[in-house]
Amino acid sequence: MDLLIAALQVTVSPVTLIAIFSGCLLGVIFGAIPGLTFTVAMALVVPMSFALDAAPAIGLLLGTYIGGMTGGSVSAILLGIPGTPSAAATVLDGYPLTRHGKASLALGTAVVASAFGGFVSLIIMMFSVDFVAGLAMRFGPAETFGLLIFGLSTICGLSAGSIVKGLIGAIIGLMVMTIGVDEMSGMQRLTFGTITLQQGINILVAMIALFAVPHVIDAFVQHYRSDRELNELADVRAELPSIRDLARNFWLMLRCSLIGTGVGAIPGTGGPIAAFLAYAHAKKTSKTPEKFGQGAMEGVVAPETANNAVTGGAMIPLLSLGIPGDPATAILLSGLLIHGLIPGPMLFLEHSLEIYEIYLAIVAAYAFVVAIQLLGIRFFVQLLRVPAHLLAVGIVIMCGYGAFTIRNSVFDVVAAAVLGAMAYGLNRARIPLTPIILGLVLGPSIEREFRTAMILSEGRLDIFYTSVPAAGFLLVAFLIVGIQLFKSVRAYFAKSSPKVKSDASTQSN
Amino acid sequence: MPVKLKTALIGAVAATAIATSASAQEFPTKPVEMTILFGSTAQTIGQLLADLMSKNLPEPVVPVMRSGGGGSVGYQYVHSMDADGYNIVWNSNSISTSFHSGKIDFDYTAFTPIAKISTEVPAIAVRADSGWETIGDMAADLLASGEKLKIGASGDGSFTHLTTEALLAAVGLSDQAINVPYDQGRAPVELLAGRLDAAVQWPGQFISHHEAGTLRILCLTSAERVPAMPDIPTCAESGAEGIDIEMWRGLAAPAGTPDDVIMVLQDAAEKAVASAEFQEASETLGFVPDFEDHAAFGELIARDDAIIGKLMADLGLKAQ
Repeated sequence: MDLLIAALQVTVSPVTLIAIFSGCLLGVIFGAIPGLTFTVAMALVVPMSFALDAAPAIGLLLGTYIGGMTGGSVSAILLGIPGTPSAAATVLDGYPLTRHGKASLALGTAVVASAFGGFVSLIIMMFSVDFVAGLAMRFGPAETFGLLIFGLSTICGLSAGSIVKGLIGAIIGLMVMTIGVDEMSGMQRLTFGTITLQQGINILVAMIALFAVPHVIDAFVQHYRSDRELNELADVRAELPSIRDLARNFWLMLRCSLIGTGVGAIPGTGGPIAAFLAYAHAKKTSKTPEKFGQGAMEGVVAPETANNAVTGGAMIPLLSLGIPGDPATAILLSGLLIHGLIPGPMLFLEHSLEIYEIYLAIVAAYAFVVAIQLLGIRFFVQLLRVPAHLLAVGIVIMCGYGAFTIRNSVFDVVAAAVLGAMAYGLNRARIPLTPIILGLVLGPSIEREFRTAMILSEGRLDIFYTSVPAAGFLLVAFLIVGIQLFKSVRAYFAKSSPKVKSDASTQSN
Repeated sequence: MPVKLKTALIGAVAATAIATSASAQEFPTKPVEMTILFGSTAQTIGQLLADLMSKNLPEPVVPVMRSGGGGSVGYQYVHSMDADGYNIVWNSNSISTSFHSGKIDFDYTAFTPIAKISTEVPAIAVRADSGWETIGDMAADLLASGEKLKIGASGDGSFTHLTTEALLAAVGLSDQAINVPYDQGRAPVELLAGRLDAAVQWPGQFISHHEAGTLRILCLTSAERVPAMPDIPTCAESGAEGIDIEMWRGLAAPAGTPDDVIMVLQDAAEKAVASAEFQEASETLGFVPDFEDHAAFGELIARDDAIIGKLMADLGLKAQ
C-alpha cells in the first residue's frame, strides 16, 4: 500500500501526466492516420524519453503504445482503412456502420471497448503475472503454430460466401510475405537477385495497398463516372453510445479481453491475430451472425476489446521474462533498459515501485485516451463531410508519406502502389480482403513456428500431437474447416436438387 | 628558381592547410543522417549516440531506421550516397556477415571507418538445475552420454549463431548439437521452458534470470572478463580454449569521404562516448563503451573480416 501511494505521487506529478498525455495524443494521431502506426510513433519518442526521468519516460512510451492501439480504430471505422494492422478486423463491421450513418456511435463504442479491454488486461497483469507468464511459457513453437493455424482456420467463417475465393486470398497473402531475406536461414526468396526486394514487403505497406489504394481508386472512378455523386455519408451526428448499449455487450467484452490478454502474452503473436480471433468468436456466439459484415456493433466491440487487451497481455512476458512480443514492446523494452529497469524476475523484487508506476501510467493512459477520443469524435466525423474524391487525395498523400517513413525507402511507396493496383483487381474479382490479411499477418509467424518446431523435434512430426495445446488447436482448426466444407458441399447439392425437381415437375405437367 | 619553387610549394601547402581547416570547420553545414540497421538495442544505442554527437556539432545527427535484409538494406543505401560525410552508418560486424553470406556485393572496404564506439560480448547460458557449472562440465557430460545438445541462437549467419558454432567447435560438440534459430529475444524463454538445453544471446537477456537463480550464465566469450560482470568467467576460463569473440559497433561513411570530415565526426563520437550519459546507458543496456579512432577501427574491421570469412566458410555459410 505504501508503495502504491509512493507510486501515485510520482505518477500524478505534472511532468509524468504531461508525458503520458503527450504520448496518448501522439499515439492516437499516428494510430488514426493510415500508414503511420504507433510503432513509428514510439521509435520517434524514444530519443525524447532519454532526457526524462524513468516515470515520465515510460509514461510517454506507454501512452504512445496505448493511444496508437486505440487510435487505429478511427480510420478503420470512418474510412474503411485500418490505421494499424491491429484494427484490420474492426473494418469489417466498423465501416458498414459508418455507411449506415452510425459513425460516431461506432467510434464511441470502440473507444469504450478499447479501454475496457485495456483495464481487464491490466487487472490480469497485476494479479496473475506469474501465472500467465507460466502459461505463456508453455507455448513453444509447436503450440504457437497450433494457435496460428487455428487463427487461419477462422478464414472459413470470414470469407463471405465462397470458400475457394477465401483460400485464394489467404494464399496470396501468404505468398506476398515470403518475399525477401528469410530471417531464419538468410536465404533470399523471390528477390530476383535484387537488393531492393531483399527488404521484403512490410506488413504496413501491404495494409496500405490492400485497404487504402482500392479505396482511393474507387473514389476517383465514382467521381469521374457520375458528375454528381450521392453523398450518402453526409449524415453526421455526434451520437455517443449509452451505458445500456455498452452493458449489453459486457460479457462479450469480458471474453474478448481474455482472448486478447492470452494471445498478447504469447510471444510471436500480437494484436491483429487477437482481433481476428475475437471477431470470429463474436460471430460464432452471436444470435444474429448474419448481421456480421453488414454493420453489427459486436463486430466492432470484439476486435477493439481484444487488440487493446493485447497491450496488457504483451506486458506480461515483457516485464516478467524480458521477452518483447512484438516490435512495439521491443521499443518499450529499450525504453525500460535505458532507465535502468531490466525486465525479468528480478524487476518485481528490485523495482516494485516502478512496477506500480507502470500500472498507474497504464490507468492514466486509458483515461486520457478515452477523453481524447470522446472529445475528438465530433471532429473526426467532420471528415465525412469532405467529398470522397478530395478525401482520396489526402489519403494518397498520407499513405505515400506513411509508406516512406516506415524505413525511409522509396521502394515501400512503389510497392504500396503496385500491390494496391493488384488489390483493386482482386476487389473487382470479388476475392475477399480478410483472408489476404490473415495470410499476411499470420504467414511469417506460421512459417517460423513450424520450422523452429521441426528443428527442435529433429524433423519428427510428433511434436505437434504429443503436446496437448498444439494438438487441441490443430484438431479444432481441422474441425472448423471440415464442417465448413461439409456445409458448403451440402448447400451446393441442396441448391441444385430443388431445381432438378421443379424441372421434373414442369415436364410431368 | 629552386627558391621560387620552394616558396610556391610552401604557399601551396599553406593554402591547402587553410582550405582543409576551413572545410573542416564548415562541416557540417546541414544535418548528418545516421542510418540504423537493426531495431532493439542497436537502435537505442544508435539513437542515444546520435543525440549526444549532436551536442558536439553545429548541426544535428539524425538517426534514421533502414532495417531489413540483415542490415543489407541500410548498407546498400549508405553505399549509394555521396561520400561527403552527410550519410553515415551505425555499423557492426554485420558488414562482414552480410558480405560473406552474399547479401551485399561489396565488402567493408566500401566504407571509411570513423570510430569504434562499443563492444558487446555474447554469453552462453543453461538452466540453473542442469547441474552444469562450466562449459567444460557441459561438454564432458554430453560427450560421455552421447546425448545431443539443443542450443538456441538468433537466425543462421547471425553473430550469435557464429559464436555458437565457434563455442561448439572449441569444446568438441560440433557434431553433437542441434542449432535452433530463434528470432530476437525468444531463446531465453525457450531455455527456461526446457525446450532448449543452452542458449547463446546477449548477457542483458539472461542477467535478470541469472540473478533470480533460474538460469546460469556459464561464460562470456571475450578474452578478458567484462568489468560490469566481474563474477562471470570468460569462456576460455570455463573450458572453451581460445575463444575470443566480441561484437563491435561503430560508425562508418562511404569510402572516399574526406579525412578532415572523418576527423570532425570522429571527435564528436569520442566526446559522445566519454559523456556520463553514454557511460550510464552502457551499464543499463549491457554494452561496453570502447572508443577507438578511425585508424585502429579500420585495422579491427579488416582483422575481424578475415576471421568471420573463415568461420563462415568452415560452416558452409559463405557465398563469396
